[in-house]
Amino acid sequence: MITLENVTKTYKNSTVALRDANVEIAKGEFVFLVGASGSGKSTFIRLLNKEETPEKGHIYVAGKDIGQLSGWKIPYLRRNIGCVFQDFKLLPTKTVFENVAFALEVIGRPRSVIDSQVPAILDLVGLGHKSDSFPTELSGGEQQRVSVARAFVNRPLILLADEPTGNLDPATSVGIMKLLDRINKTGTTVVMATHDRGIVDTMRRRVIEIDRGAIVRDQARGVYE
Amino acid sequence: MPVKFDYLLRETTSNLGRNVTITLASIITVAVSLALVGASLMLRSGVENATQRWQGGIEFVVFLRIDATQQQIDSLNNDLEQSPEVSKIVYVNQEQAYKEFQTLFADSPELIDSVTAKDLPPSFRVEPVNKEVEAVESLGVTYEGRSGVDQVVFASKTIRLIQQLSSRLTVGIFVIAAFLLGAAGLLILNTIRMAMFARRREIEVMKLVGATNWFIRVPFMLEGLVQGLVGAFLAIAGLAAFKPFFQKWLPSAQDIPLVGGFQVSAGEMTVIFMTLGVVGVAIGAIGAGIAVSRFLDV
Repeated sequence: MITLENVTKTYKNSTVALRDANVEIAKGEFVFLVGASGSGKSTFIRLLNKEETPEKGHIYVAGKDIGQLSGWKIPYLRRNIGCVFQDFKLLPTKTVFENVAFALEVIGRPRSVIDSQVPAILDLVGLGHKSDSFPTELSGGEQQRVSVARAFVNRPLILLADEPTGNLDPATSVGIMKLLDRINKTGTTVVMATHDRGIVDTMRRRVIEIDRGAIVRDQARGVYE
Repeated sequence: MPVKFDYLLRETTSNLGRNVTITLASIITVAVSLALVGASLMLRSGVENATQRWQGGIEFVVFLRIDATQQQIDSLNNDLEQSPEVSKIVYVNQEQAYKEFQTLFADSPELIDSVTAKDLPPSFRVEPVNKEVEAVESLGVTYEGRSGVDQVVFASKTIRLIQQLSSRLTVGIFVIAAFLLGAAGLLILNTIRMAMFARRREIEVMKLVGATNWFIRVPFMLEGLVQGLVGAFLAIAGLAAFKPFFQKWLPSAQDIPLVGGFQVSAGEMTVIFMTLGVVGVAIGAIGAGIAVSRFLDV
């Protein structure tokens, strides 16, 4: 599903964010990216989403070399990739329903699809009863559930999560992780960057550790360190 | 990709509503600058129409009698063509004279109705080689006494002055209008930039979930177009309302002898209005286009 071949990414200020990375992630895998702040985890995620372009090497997502992807095709790549962030990125002026519906609306899905898909996904994340609330009326955990619902409503092949539990307390984090686990069980590949030792050690999934841009560990059923 | 109409309508109107004051500023600037362009175009056509028979170096006109015979006309034509002092002649027959009359008095249909081609004299328009006033006059008067000739009329200094003044005025107004249009374009650019800034979160999410670039851009482009178009519309409405005053304000045919009235025909007004519409849309599109390509990093 995801392949990195000798990928190097250097930023303009000559910070090496990723150095000669080689990774292969199969369909349906659940992968944790761990490492200190600034180690290159976020760059890893942003490269998969084509928010960044590698300097050297090749990145294949769903069989396509996305390094060669021309600009107008990027949106179509992103329709196969759901994204969840630490800061949720919900629109404060829209209700929960509208926030999720927005993701379908802007890729041209018809109203009928929106009206059937959005309530279903809100039920899946356990927020069916809050669909008319605004994000500010929700707790952090609930907001992150909305954001997961938005990322998953289009049934993407891949779900990228950049520290999704970074702003949440441990108990709430467990709820979000259960949700991601459930999504993973539907066959969606999940790649999650995290600092949360507890989560990584409990879930025992594949762990890729990045240290100053280099992949220093790639361990099946691994632990945080 | 089909971009939904109701989506575009909603986004564009909400963008326009979000920055009412600066949107109004850009619309008014577009309207004022286009009104200036339009007014100077109207002035130019008015002067061109009024001095139509004096264009292209024509210095005097030999009007023939209405009852001049073909023989008299041919002989005069011959003499004019043979003369070494004449560089060009144009013969205007009664039909052509009537057509000109119709454009000159487009605003007075009762006058046009009361006159037929038979009432208008045919004429020769003459461009002499030497355009010094004295030389032109001494050449012109030689045709005055000829059989079949009614009178010889000279381009007066006034006419030359009017033509010169109008062309300079037109250039001057165009320069000012060009600056104003530039300002209008920049204002539109900034309005759209502000609209994009106000909606940066939505744009970020749209990019994230795979909205196409055009889907994100089009509402902003439309916003610029609407501003240009509304500005042009205001300018057109203003000029249309102003036109009767414009006609009254300019001297009429009776006030300046030898010159037709300063009329701008309906056809010319249509062309002017269409020009303004096109320029308005172009300014909006350019402003929006630059804003979208520079500041919308999709």
